[in-house]
This record gives sequence, C-alpha cells and structure tokens, in this order.
Amino acid sequence: MTDRWQRFKKSALFHDFKGDKVAIVSFATLVLLFICAFSAPLIAPYNPYDSANIDIMSSEIPPVWMAGGTNDYLLGTDAQGRDLLSTMIYGMRISIIIGICAVALQAVIGIIIGLIAGYYGGKLDGFFMRLADVQLSFSYLMVAIFVSAVLQAAVGVGRFAEIAVPFLIIVIGLAQWPQYARTVRASVLAEKKKEYVEAARVTGFGAHRIMWRHILPNCMSPILVLSTIQVANAVMSEAALSFLGLGMPVTRPSLGSLINAGFEYIFSGSWWITAFPGVLLVILVLAVNLLGDFLRDALNPKLYKG
Amino acid sequence: MVAFIIRRIVQAFLVMFIISSIGFAIKHNVGDPVWQITGISVSKAERERIREQLGLNDPVYIQYINFLKNAAHGDLGQSYFYKKPAADVILDKAPATLELVLVSSMIIVVLSIPLGVYAAIYPKRIFSRVVMGGSIVGVSIPVFLIAIMGVYLFSVHLGWLPSFGRGATVNVGGWRTGFLTVDGWLHLILPSLSLSSIMLPLFIRLIRSEMMEVLESDYIRYAWAKGLKKYRIWFLHAFKNTLLPVITVGGVQLGITIAFTILTETVFQWQGLGFLFMEAVERSDTALLVAYLMFVGMIMVVVNTVVDIIYGVVNPTVRIAGTK
Amino acid sequence: MKKLACLALALLIALSLGTAVNAKSLNLAMDADPVSLDPQVQLSGGMLQYSHMVFDPLVRWTKEMTFEPRLAERWERIDENTVRFYLRKGVTFHSGNPFTAKDIVWTVDRLKRSQDFKGLFEPFVGAAAVDDHTVDLVTKKPYPLLLNMSTYIFAMDSVFYTGTDERGLPKDAIVKTGYSFANVNESGTGKYRVTHREQGVRNVFEAYKNYWDAESPGNVDTIILTPIKKDATRVAALLSGDVDFIMPVPPQDYDRIAATDGVKLATMPGSRVITFQLNQKRREEFTNPKVRQAIVYAVNNEGIAEKIMKGKATAAGQQAPEGYLGYVEELKPRYDLAKARKLMKEAGYPKGFECTMIAPNNRYVNDDKIAEAVVSMLGRINIKVNLKTMPKAQYWDQFDAQTADIQMIGWHPDTEDSANYTEFLLMCPNKETGYGQYNSGNYCNPKVDELILACQSETDRDKRAAMLQEVERILHNDAAFVPLHWQHLSWAGKDALNILPIVNVMNFPYFGDLVID
Repeated sequence: MTDRWQRFKKSALFHDFKGDKVAIVSFATLVLLFICAFSAPLIAPYNPYDSANIDIMSSEIPPVWMAGGTNDYLLGTDAQGRDLLSTMIYGMRISIIIGICAVALQAVIGIIIGLIAGYYGGKLDGFFMRLADVQLSFSYLMVAIFVSAVLQAAVGVGRFAEIAVPFLIIVIGLAQWPQYARTVRASVLAEKKKEYVEAARVTGFGAHRIMWRHILPNCMSPILVLSTIQVANAVMSEAALSFLGLGMPVTRPSLGSLINAGFEYIFSGSWWITAFPGVLLVILVLAVNLLGDFLRDALNPKLYKG
Repeated sequence: MVAFIIRRIVQAFLVMFIISSIGFAIKHNVGDPVWQITGISVSKAERERIREQLGLNDPVYIQYINFLKNAAHGDLGQSYFYKKPAADVILDKAPATLELVLVSSMIIVVLSIPLGVYAAIYPKRIFSRVVMGGSIVGVSIPVFLIAIMGVYLFSVHLGWLPSFGRGATVNVGGWRTGFLTVDGWLHLILPSLSLSSIMLPLFIRLIRSEMMEVLESDYIRYAWAKGLKKYRIWFLHAFKNTLLPVITVGGVQLGITIAFTILTETVFQWQGLGFLFMEAVERSDTALLVAYLMFVGMIMVVVNTVVDIIYGVVNPTVRIAGTK
Repeated sequence: MKKLACLALALLIALSLGTAVNAKSLNLAMDADPVSLDPQVQLSGGMLQYSHMVFDPLVRWTKEMTFEPRLAERWERIDENTVRFYLRKGVTFHSGNPFTAKDIVWTVDRLKRSQDFKGLFEPFVGAAAVDDHTVDLVTKKPYPLLLNMSTYIFAMDSVFYTGTDERGLPKDAIVKTGYSFANVNESGTGKYRVTHREQGVRNVFEAYKNYWDAESPGNVDTIILTPIKKDATRVAALLSGDVDFIMPVPPQDYDRIAATDGVKLATMPGSRVITFQLNQKRREEFTNPKVRQAIVYAVNNEGIAEKIMKGKATAAGQQAPEGYLGYVEELKPRYDLAKARKLMKEAGYPKGFECTMIAPNNRYVNDDKIAEAVVSMLGRINIKVNLKTMPKAQYWDQFDAQTADIQMIGWHPDTEDSANYTEFLLMCPNKETGYGQYNSGNYCNPKVDELILACQSETDRDKRAAMLQEVERILHNDAAFVPLHWQHLSWAGKDALNILPIVNVMNFPYFGDLVID
C-alpha cells in the first residue's frame, strides 16, 4: 500500500498536480464537500427528513444576516419551513450519490458495448452504434418517463419516493452510456492496430483476455477524463430532471429539486431558497470540471497515445 | 460509397422502427388521454364510451399494427389536443425550433472559433485564461439557471427584452419565420443565447484542444522550420486540420441541441418542438408524443449519417464500413 | 340628398373618431387557451371563460351569486317542472342570423347530446319554443337548480351550425379529437368574434359591431389572448409589460405584484375546496373514526393557508364555503396537535403507522407544496407518509385506480350548489348511479346518501338548506375527509384596468364589461 503511494508520489500526475494551484484548490473543495455530504447527520444542524423539525409556521425565514433572520437558521428556511443549510447538505449527498452511481452504471454499459463494438467491428459494431444513435435521440427525459412508468407499475405509486434514487441512477445511466461506448470504441479502434494486440493474438490469447487485460487498461485515460466530466453532467442532468418535475421527490430533495422548488419564489423576494443551493451546485460541478480539466491536461489522452 | 449509403438507409429504417416501438411503449405510460379531453364531472360510463370510440380499449398489439399501417401512409395519428393530424402539428412547430437552433449554432460558430483559436495560439495570455476560465464556469451552470437569470435581469429588471414567445412572425409559404420582423429578432435573443450557453463553452474547449494538438504536430513544426508566415500556418494549415473533429462532434451535438431545446423552450415558452413535447406529455397527447419521437429520431439518424459520410469523404484514412 | 350625405359622412367620422378614441385593446395571458371554438365540446373552466366572451347564456351569475338576465330578459315558473323564459329581441348572431327561441331549443338538444354536458342536463326533458321569443325549459321532476343550469345554455346559431360543410360532414357534430366544423368556426351572440386563432400560441378576439348589449360600460375592442403555462413566466410577462392582464396569479408572487408600481392584484374567495381522502378500503386504520379525526386535528390547515397560500385561501372545516346553502357557521378548522396525539393513543396507534399519499403537482394552486406540508404534519403524530406527486395527466388515472392510501382532490361544483360536492366526493360509491365517482376514501354513510337524494327535488330553499347543513355536520363529526382550504381566485393587471367589477367567484371574468381608463 505504502509502496503504491510512494510510486504515485513520484508519478508525473502527482508532480503536475503539485504545480497546479487550481487543481489543488478544486480537489480540496471537492474533498471538503464530500466530507460534508457524507457526514451530513453529524454536521447538519437539523435532520430535514424528520418532520419534528419542520414547522410550516417558520417557512421562508431569511438568512441570519438579513432583517427577520434568526440564529436558529443560518441560511434561512425554505417554503416548507426546513432549515436550508441542513437540507442543502443532505441534498448534496443525494446529488453526489446519484452522480457517481449513474456514471458507474454508464461506464459499465458503455465500456462493455464500446469494447465489443470496437474489437469485433462489422455487423455487431453497426448494430451497437445505431443503438447509440437511438439512445441519443431519446434524451434522458424520455428515458425518465419510460423508466418511471415501468418502476411505478412494478412497486406501486406510493412507494415511489423510496426508489427515487435508484430510479434516477438508472435513468441517467441508461441515457448517457453512448458517450462511453463511443469513446471506448474509438480508443479500441486505435489500439487494435497496435503491435502488442497483434502479439497477444498471435500468442493465442482469447478475445476476452485481450479486450479486458490488454486493450482496456490502455484506454483508461480517456475513460478517466470522460468520467469526471460525466459526473458533472450527471449531477446537472439530475438537476434538469428535477427542474422538469421528474427528479427527486419534494420530501427528500436533491440540490436540483431544491433549486426547482425555490424558483417560484425568486420574484417574491425569497431568493435564498434557490440561490444557495444553486451556488452550491455550481461550486460542486465546477470543482469536478476543473479537476477533469486538470486530468485532461495532465494525462492528455490523445497525445499520450500518440 | 453507394453500398455504404444504402446500408445506412436500411439501418435508418430499422432505427425508425425501433423508435416507433419504444415511442409506442412510452405512449401508454404518460396517462390516459380521455381524462384530458373530458370535464371532470363526466360520468365513468361516458368516458368508457369515448375510450371505446378512440380504439384505446383494443389490445396494444392491434393498436400498434394500426399505427404502423397508417404510418406507412404518412399518417401518424390525430393530436387529441390540437384536433389535427399530429404530423401537421409537428411541421407547424418545427420552424420555431429550427430557427432557434440555427441562430444558436451561428452564435456558437461565430464566437467559439476565434476564441478557441486564440486560446490555442496564446495559451498563456490573460485573455485566454479568462476565456478558458469563463468557459468552464459556463459548463458548470445549468441551462435553466442561466435562462431564468436572463429573464429576471433583462426582461423583468431592466425591461429591455421580451420574456416569452416568438413575437411577431411572418408566414412565408407555410414556414412561420421570426427572422423578418424586429420583434421576432428581439424575442430570439434570450432563448438563443441561453441555448448556446450549453454548447459554446464545450466548443471553445474542443477547438482549443484540437488546435493545440495540431500545433504540436510534426508537419506544423516543419512549416515553422520552412519559415512560412505565422498567419498562414495558423489559419491555413493548423485550423484546417482542427476542423475535422470539430465537424464530427458538431454534427452529433446539433442533434443533442435539438433535444436540449426542451429546457430552453419550456422556460421561454418558445413555441417549438421541445415545448410541444412537454405539453404533449402533460396532456397525454399520445399521438403527438409518438410523432415527436419519430421526428427527432429521424433528425438524429440523418445527422449521424451525414456526419459519417462527410467524415469518410474528408478523411480518407478512416475506412468506412462497407467500402472494403 | 347632398345634405343627407354630408350628415352621414359627418356621423361616420364622428363615430369612427369616437371608437378610435375609446377603443382599447387588451393583452391577456392565461394559463391555457380554449381547446376548441365549440362551446359544448368540453366542460372546463377555460371553455366557459371562452363561452362568456363569444356567446351569451340565458342568464348569468353576478358577483353576489344572484342571476342576471342576458339573452333571457325575464323568466317565470309556470308549473313545478317548467320555467318560461322571455327572450331579448333584436339580437343577432355573428353570422348576421337573428336570434330566436328556435336557437335555444337547438342548443339544449345539442347539450343533451354533448358527452360533457349531458350529465348536467340529465334532469331536463328539453326546451320548447312557445313563440319566436318565448321558450319553456322543462324538467323531468321538480328541479331546484334549473336557473343554475341555464347559465350553461349559451345560444348557438342553429342556422349557421346546420347542414354539411365542404368536407361533407355534418356541421353540428361534436368531435373531441379531430376536425369538426364547430371546432374551428363560431357564430354566437357574444361581444367578441374570433378573428385569429393559432392554438396554444395566440388568439385574437374583436368586438362584434352589432352586439346587443349597448348598456355595458366595456370599452375593449380587441383582446389578444396568449396562453402562458408557467407561473413564473406569466408573472414575468406582466412585470415586463409584455401583457396587461394575467390569470391566475401564483400566491408566492402576490406581494411582489402588489408592491410593483403600475400593476395591481385582485383576489376574491373562491369555492374550490381542497381535501384529502383517507381510503378505508386500503387501510384498516382509516375505518376507525378516531384515526380520521386525529389526522384532521393534526393538519394545521390555517398554517397552510397563511404560509403556502400567502393568506389567499380560507382554511376550511367543511366542504361548502360561506354563501352556499350547506354552509354551517360553527364548523371551523380543528388544528390541535395535543388532541390529535391523544386520539391516536385512544385509537390504539400511539406509535403510528406508515402509509402512502399521492397528489397532483400542476392541478391546484401549490398542490404539491400543500401535500408536502401535510406529510410533515402527519409525521408529528407518527404517521409516516410516502408522498408521490405527478402531473395531472397521470394523476387522475392513479386517483381513479386508488393506488395510494391518502389522495388529494379539489372540487368546485358545476352547479354552484352544496349537494354537488357530496354527490361526487362522499356519497357511497355506486357504479350504476355514478354517485361517489371521486370518493376514493370509500366513506359510506347511508344517512348522508338519503339526505342528498332527498334534497335533489326539494325546491323549498329553507328545507333544502337544513338538509344540506345536516350533511355537513355528519361529515364533520365522522371526519369523512380532511378539509384543507378554499382556494382564492386571483387576477393581476395594469393599473388602468378595472378588474374587480368583471370578476366573480366562478372565475369567468366578463371581459365584455371591462373598462380600461
């Protein structure tokens, strides 16, 4: 373990990282946000899921520094009377979980299809790439409608709140796999021509082994770069779905559904309900994107491959 | 090449078939249209009669066969809400979306090329850093946030721009255009800017990274060594080679942009296809829903095919399946 | 001759000048536009608003809930089943055809065929013309709501709508999902003609120059109706000056509009009650009246009215609002958390239980927020509720199938009468009679059914009121449903618009009477 860490410390990636202030700051921000999100029950002043903490009579209290704000609610309360800070921390946890799991799902589907399509080529390739076309023409919105209907039929409408997280993971995972499939396929096409693949084939390794043990590791850098971007995308997609009313239920809000719920209050003066979650979302996504940018520059997948 | 095109056309039909099936599967999940076309106090029995009349009680496969039969003749069914053939409604609304996408694409092209090229040539300059920094912030702000901020600032607060709709339109041979009136252009500004806010940063970054890659390639180094003028190297040699991947990505993104209009059109009440789709979902206007899916699917298939062909024509090193 | 021509010319100039000075146009934004030009194709608020612009009813409601003569100048009861209407003379349709008793007979016949209206006109035998300007409305048995129903009789031009169109289809056909002559053509007697219609985008109405009502103070000649579905966009359009008048106004923006110079807000109490039904067939707990009462006591509906509805809703303790026959003064909202907890303990559920709830998210004002608030309120008596909100397109399917234990429904009686609430929401569900069609709580009390059926043919107002009030009391004591509030109606417009005189509790603004300063 320490050995690996030592090796990592000597690597070019770490060297670049030390020299890049933006990367350090965004990494630190991200770590901080993750810690906050996953220790939500410990650090959040209230538990927003416990109805004992929610009183409609204390709704729309402004942040503490504004007239009418109280020390009880640092960033004010939302339209239901929930402490906004706590709700945001819990909401961020949901957003991050959905973002990472959805990307994991995309990656699994996309890598398998991309590998197969790129390695075998021909009819299989044509089929999968057309499938990707179909998938892309159905934006995640349509996938969301379809999957929600299927799940609702399966578990009953009433229980939907409990499965909303897996639902969004499936929707965003299903909707975006073509991005991975196309990237992986392109890398595989480039790798396939190389000598080591030929050598492995001559040695008599099976297609499975060549694909997974030889080609895939060499496609890792584009996958890594894509993954960071996709996490940011997934968090944004979740927000967009919530904006259109297909996301997390109002009782367990994500950052996106919080922003959406607060939108209606922008004109009325309760701007904080939307603004704080909005800023948090942008910071989260920005940090991920900046880190992805750093990785792209550092690993420079295309140049690296030559 | 001919074999390739024929193959793609066959594939396109297959894709459309799959899309129609999926569309048909979704259709039954967006609600019951009968509830939407009757008042709430209408009796159950009456509603059942209407359902029977509309053929909604037939088994799904029979409905699907009927749909395919009619679709073969270009009839995609009746829109319950508009009380017109769904295909007519789609064609009626398509110009709005196409004009919006066109103007956004223009904005993207006009801004992303100079900015991206500049950032690639002078990566260390302050302005380049500002552009790159701005673009990454741009990617990180959800489009609906930008759209609402735009409305709040420019329409409500400053009162400079209209907040919704297409404004005055002129009907030119069945194509309702907003390009011919000042009002139409004013209405276009906010929606097209917020629509381009998604893709513009992506394109700036794409052009920059492609261009930087090209600038580091061997033949550009040769060109420098040969003592060619810098503008010639940048714009003739380097930029030309940057364009290819940009066109490929651009084609695919164009399709995605059309899908993205759903958000923008919803916020601005832009009467195009995306808005139509959301309304169709909310009203369970099922025939219209399927027609929309077919139409967008067709655009995606056409765009992808054209991109593949261009890619093959421009870049002979890429082998197109079928030309072996 | 020359003199006469001069005079005519002068008159013409004066007239045109006069209209040019007074003629105002109105940019109107609503959440939706009429789905058709045929007033009988769908029974909905939007279509009735349209009907009041382009057509005229026999009588119409005033703000004070009395009847005002329109196409009928006066009326009298002839026998217990018949009311005779004396029609206005000299009225013409937009096509130029004169309006006569024949048109009323034709209109009522068509109403009885209309899929949406036939239910309302079930108690009627029909209309019979006595002479050109006298018509009798005949019911099957004594019917106390005959005049209420006459507000739905919007005279259609029988000559215009008779025969076949250029496609060879009958002009009087009522078609919900496709083309029909009446869906795209109109000829009514109303103040406005439809001169341009791009459905879902823009509708233009222009004043009909031979309109009969010369006494109306209204001075709006052109109305441009633009549907804007999103609340925030609609408000933004008013604030940015793109439109002059919006309806409805979302509660969260009341303060902002009231505080903005140049625009003003008008609200009035409405009669749509918002309720939750507790399904006794799905949950054994809900068959226990104590549990139902505990829930009613746990719901702070005054808090919801004050906070979520911004004070523009009246917290309810019963179905019918004040002014309705069935209204009982002493039935008040019952929020009392301590009592709710005590009732839960008495009922044997001190630890509570878990159940499901569904609510629409685009049907009633702030419906999803209300549902969310009720979920946390029930959490306080240890009832854990799983809530799912959805667009109305999917909601009614689910409501009808009773897929959740607690379901939201709002109701506004088409008849503007107390009995209508109970007939649809709380009478024992009966497939044959259709009563209790929206009773997803499956509450069933034979005494309530008996009282409601009896008052259907009770024409004595006082006796009827006593029966309806008795019903409300029983429902209250049984905690048959969870009452939340009556939604207020809201409109907002530029200062120059005199909004209040033209609006009413049915939410049919009489635009013909609108005065713009």
